[in-house]
Amino acid sequence: MVDVGPVADFEERHFRIVMAGDHEVGVLRWQDRFFAVHNRCPHQKGPLCLGVVSGRLHGSAPGSMEVDDETPVIACPWHGWEFDLERGRALWEEGYAVKVVPVQIKEGRVLLEIGKRTA
Amino acid sequence: MYSGPVIDCDVHHARSSDAELIPYLSRGWREYVTDRGRAGSVPLTVQDGFPNPHGFMRADTYPDGGGEPGSDYLTMQAQLLDARDVRRAILTFGDDSHLAGHHNPYFATELARACNDWSIDRWLTQDARLLSSIMVGSQLPDLAAAEVRRHAANPRMVQVMLVDNPFNYGFGHPVFHPIYAAAEETGKPVAIHGGAGGWANPPSTGGGSVNTYFETHVLWPQAIQTHLVSFIAHGVFEKYPTLKVVLIEGGSAWIPSLLWRFDTEYKGLRREVPWLKRLPSEYFAEHVWASSQPLEISPKREHVIDLIRSMQLEDKLVYSSDYPHWDADEIEYLSTRLPAEWHSRLFFENACRLYGWKADELKKPAAVVQSAK
Repeated sequence: MVDVGPVADFEERHFRIVMAGDHEVGVLRWQDRFFAVHNRCPHQKGPLCLGVVSGRLHGSAPGSMEVDDETPVIACPWHGWEFDLERGRALWEEGYAVKVVPVQIKEGRVLLEIGKRTA
Repeated sequence: MYSGPVIDCDVHHARSSDAELIPYLSRGWREYVTDRGRAGSVPLTVQDGFPNPHGFMRADTYPDGGGEPGSDYLTMQAQLLDARDVRRAILTFGDDSHLAGHHNPYFATELARACNDWSIDRWLTQDARLLSSIMVGSQLPDLAAAEVRRHAANPRMVQVMLVDNPFNYGFGHPVFHPIYAAAEETGKPVAIHGGAGGWANPPSTGGGSVNTYFETHVLWPQAIQTHLVSFIAHGVFEKYPTLKVVLIEGGSAWIPSLLWRFDTEYKGLRREVPWLKRLPSEYFAEHVWASSQPLEISPKREHVIDLIRSMQLEDKLVYSSDYPHWDADEIEYLSTRLPAEWHSRLFFENACRLYGWKADELKKPAAVVQSAK
């Protein structure tokens, strides 16, 4: 476990980049849930967590623009490739993903489970 | 050489004179067209286009009895239908195919109706192997859709054909969607035929107009690329999930590079088109076919084969001769350029899948006539 600070230090909808072991990890507070992924896009190794965070845009029909706020999405600042922060999966292909780091909140502190494999 | 059954997906039938089509116009439009005294008739075809220094037709296709190439059934029968084991040939009109380039949308709509009736009356009655495209005046999409539905019950009016572009929007734009609703409802594919260059506004070349037929012919795939990208980006295949599209006379070797680029761009720009659920290449694989002509001639035969194989286009290419045009591809020639193991798909089976025909039945000579009636 790596303690990356008190919950209160994390601003809603903003990534905070921390060192966890040998890796830069972006930690996001989103509607009082926490998500963490490696700050390294699997595409061309760009600084993923410097990109825009949003809800997942989808369209139920051509021309419609809707947003699912339950699922935060990060768009890489280099090429705009989007990843679901829940599982790290690219929005166009489930098999393509950024590494996700599990997060626990204990006694008001944000803890990263470094080294634990995710689903 | 391939000697099996053939489905030819691009055969240009034509009329020898305006007088041939005028009887199929309504009385009012006949008056409009013909009642000009010494000024003669209103031209029925769009008066534009680049001249081909050789002419647009194979010299040997001019009928012995006079008239335009593609205008005489017996000549077509001898040169095309009976020359090989042609089971079906899809007619795609001549200069009338450019009617969506007319400035007058009401005239274009009437011409489309008349052309379709002429095609049925003058051609489909001659030979059960002949099938026709449905021309539409896409300037008025609701009326175009009504024209498609008028032929809903006629299985020999097999596809809706788009050539010229009246709106300066890619064909995926919602303004065209009533046509696709009708196409899907009637189970008829949409055929996008290359070659609107010079006949329509906008030009069919990216970046600006070109000045010679040479240039425009090299660049024919550009307009088709625009429409293909537009179809997928606008979510036409999400909105009309059983719709099929066939790209005619644009070649095929460019398709892999376009789809590779399209997929990559989608990964970065998905936010702009979130109604898409799959990669663009996946929509292509399910919904889009392409005609073989003109097959790109790579310096080494295997280069174009590798490109086609890279996207499994050997399962999506349908043979098209383009008879009687000057740049037509012969079966003998394609047989030497493409692997023998592709031939039955290219010349016959892929078209059966596109048009929903039972290949096994269509292979039986006796069934050809019956099923085409």
